[in-house]
Amino acid sequence: MDTGRIKCVLCNEGLVQKKTLFEYMGRNFSHEVPCCPKCGKVFIPPELAEGRMAEVEEQLEDK
Amino acid sequence: MKISSLGVVVHKTVSVCPVCLENIGASVVLRSDEYFFKKKCPEHGAFSTVVWRGKSPSYEQWGAGYTPRDVKSDCPRGCGLCSRHLQKTCCALVEVTRRCNLSCPICFAESISGHFASGSGKAAHSAHFGQLRDSGRNSTSKLGVQSSLNLPPDLSGGDAELPVGELFEIFKSLAAKGNTFVQLSGGEPTVRDDLPEIIAAARAAGCENIQLNSNGIRLGSEPLYTKKLKDAGLSFVFMQFDGTRDDAYLKLRGEALLDVKCAAIDICGENLIGVTLVPTVVPGVNDDNIGDIIKFGLERSPAVRGVHFQPVSYFGRYPHEPSNEDRITLPEILRAIEVQTNRKFSMSDFVPSACDHPRCGFHGDFVVLPGSRVMKLTKRASSSCCDDDDAHLKNRKFVARRWKRAEDVGKAVGKDADFQDMDTFLSRVKSHGFTITAMAFQDAYNLDLERLRRCSLHVAQGGRLIPFCANYLD
Repeated sequence: MDTGRIKCVLCNEGLVQKKTLFEYMGRNFSHEVPCCPKCGKVFIPPELAEGRMAEVEEQLEDK
Repeated sequence: MKISSLGVVVHKTVSVCPVCLENIGASVVLRSDEYFFKKKCPEHGAFSTVVWRGKSPSYEQWGAGYTPRDVKSDCPRGCGLCSRHLQKTCCALVEVTRRCNLSCPICFAESISGHFASGSGKAAHSAHFGQLRDSGRNSTSKLGVQSSLNLPPDLSGGDAELPVGELFEIFKSLAAKGNTFVQLSGGEPTVRDDLPEIIAAARAAGCENIQLNSNGIRLGSEPLYTKKLKDAGLSFVFMQFDGTRDDAYLKLRGEALLDVKCAAIDICGENLIGVTLVPTVVPGVNDDNIGDIIKFGLERSPAVRGVHFQPVSYFGRYPHEPSNEDRITLPEILRAIEVQTNRKFSMSDFVPSACDHPRCGFHGDFVVLPGSRVMKLTKRASSSCCDDDDAHLKNRKFVARRWKRAEDVGKAVGKDADFQDMDTFLSRVKSHGFTITAMAFQDAYNLDLERLRRCSLHVAQGGRLIPFCANYLD
């Protein structure tokens, strides 16, 4: 993904890939996601939400 | 709450008389940190069986969140999943033989020994088998439902076994109803040379997960046979594993079996067949070995996928009528896990059964990390409620995920790997997931019909699905 072409709606800055810590389903995970270099807000691409994050959710789902 | 002269009544339910199997009322009575299942048959007298020891966790805590239902049905009489049963089938057990290559003093299936051509040492063993004394119970069904609670006529003759074609029809019928997780059981299923064909038939019928219940003797002795099982579509093995010392096997199985168990794990590992170790925990035999069994399993991850403890139950064949000293309860196993692993695992890492009645078992979900570390995944708050309509499906997905070996064994990682990294975590949890679980089967002494009604492990028998503990009750 060419993250520089995606701009932050608040800062109008091009996003950069940055390793980011998530708290997800009660656990901490890190992953590189597009991030605004100015305000720090991140963009979760649909392919990440429907891919890796969905996989994590499935793995953490209890019986 | 009623205070009787013998303790505090904390729960009332329905059970059966262990002699005549007629339904009788039962109470769970707390006395000095022990919970007893008390009942009285008008004809055969009073019975008191310990069902829970200790208050950490307490009997009441472990069942918290579960809403008891009235037991007004006539179960287990005529049991074969009626509309009053409260849980759907998670796993269907199919008995493929009654023969076995062992003759254990304790056997829920009352398997028949000495019919295995490649077995050894059976002559010396048969003397021990002959010394087992009848517990005094009549061997014929007392429930008036002979066809549903005993083996079907074509298996009752001993050596007679359903041919592959007939088993295929059973698998097809199960799969058509969405029951795609089957356990092949016995007897010892590996005494059948055509077990690969049976597994292939289950696959062809639409079964997605095929579990083999085995003592591992043939798996550890015949690598080519084991490979054939994998090639036919075997998903994973539940392997009888009573301890890391041979004294447990000598006492419970009559033979020193540790070496062949280790060989079976290695051979299954080479074939990417996941192995879950299944110890029958017997007081004074192997209850001091619980921590070492877990350590043994962790050291053999990813070949070993977990440990499934089964507190000894007294149904089928057992050497004598059990006293309370012959029993170990779920909270004792939980505490033993904590103490014997030097608190590597704690009781809070485990939650009650969600797919069955909470007092039927527990489970904990882990990932084995390099350097003998474990990541703990089970969170008490996130555990699903046992009243979920799809609990059986959740459980089915969970066990398939954990007990199957990943075909891609995952990239090698050093002990300094960052397991917070999403990709590294996902790779590791798929390759090195590890479960510690337990299931307390019920016998005629401690059968609680409230628990029975929530059973999700069902034996396919005569076209019906019968809750496991009802099937082997007498």
